[in-house]
Amino acid sequence: MNTERHLSRALGAIAAVLLAVACQEAASPPGNITAGWKKEQGSCAGFRLTGGGRVDARDHNGFAKSTPESHDFATFGFQARPSSSCPPTDGSGNIEWNEHNPDEFGGGFAFHGQVTFFTTTMDETAGDDRCGRFGGVGRLNTRNSGTFEDVPFEVNHACDVAEPGVGNDHIKITISDVYTRHGLLSGGNIQQHRLTGNN
Amino acid sequence: MTLKILVALTLLAGAVQAQSVTGKAFGTFVNVAGIVAQSPVATLPTTGGMATGQVDAFGVPGSVDAQRLNAVTTGAVDSKKTGAQSTSEVEDVSTAGGAITADVVTAVATSYFGQFTGGSDATGSGFTNLAVNGVPVTEDVAPNTRVDLPGVGYAILNEQIPTGNGVTSWGMTVNMIHVVFQNFLGLTTGEIIIGSATSSVTR
Repeated sequence: MNTERHLSRALGAIAAVLLAVACQEAASPPGNITAGWKKEQGSCAGFRLTGGGRVDARDHNGFAKSTPESHDFATFGFQARPSSSCPPTDGSGNIEWNEHNPDEFGGGFAFHGQVTFFTTTMDETAGDDRCGRFGGVGRLNTRNSGTFEDVPFEVNHACDVAEPGVGNDHIKITISDVYTRHGLLSGGNIQQHRLTGNN
Repeated sequence: MTLKILVALTLLAGAVQAQSVTGKAFGTFVNVAGIVAQSPVATLPTTGGMATGQVDAFGVPGSVDAQRLNAVTTGAVDSKKTGAQSTSEVEDVSTAGGAITADVVTAVATSYFGQFTGGSDATGSGFTNLAVNGVPVTEDVAPNTRVDLPGVGYAILNEQIPTGNGVTSWGMTVNMIHVVFQNFLGLTTGEIIIGSATSSVTR
């Protein structure tokens, strides 16, 4: 219950911050937390993204898998794309993100998010545009703190740097203000595709 | 000249139509003593997309007990770059009468091709706190490691099965725990698979 209250306060706080930022950047302030994430960073993307795999080491500190006794890793899978009428920078898709570290929020969790916006962004390591940014809201099912609905999330960047993806591609996700993980892939791949078809 | 262009376009169209991806992942499959059961399977459409298969717990008494089974597969077909990646995770695993236990079993299968190269691998697959016959395994398990399970049969850990011709198709199936039950004659009587991920791409 306390955790829920804290999360609720945290969501309120982050909503306030995002609303303030959005108000500075847009003429009309967004009406809810999700819209707050949708501030006009980046621009319409001429591509879509798919990906899946595993992230262990953080912040580009290598890409080795954690040791066999460690729970400090996350796995994921996603597809995301911009809407056909971009702008505005609406998007669609889904993401599954499973965090195993018991020291993370809720003792670890499974998160299912639905994508509502999609834009371009920059790869902060290579400085190019092989990255997409997307987000929306989702359900956070924690190991020991219950389930939370309509939790805002943002994949700050998902970058298709090279094939294979391990040690090259990287991803950063932020879930509300309670969780973030950023690193090179230790398994799997992220791919940028042309905007063809519905998948 | 026109004929050459038509032929080229026809070949190109054929190549594009042939492109496909497959992806599949599941937590647990059991076929023991007449009992066949399987946790939800994530199956990727051949044109790409995303699929999931999840359940909070899965158990067959005497065979397997597992929690938080999550399977996801994603992929896309694109003439310039095509890929499929599948992930299966199972937690708090106990199987073969407790002969094999693990905190987390993770299977990752990745297949891709770009304009110049292709490949498939199981990088990222692994165990967290694996124990076999009561003995903790403190190092990464090499692909296709066989362990004997007295009174049960044997198991293949980190079983990796590559597919495709390596020129126009690439694929991989990884089964992190594959228990094979045997009778006193050494004949196979059943099997359990825990943590399975498959992906493949065809150019």
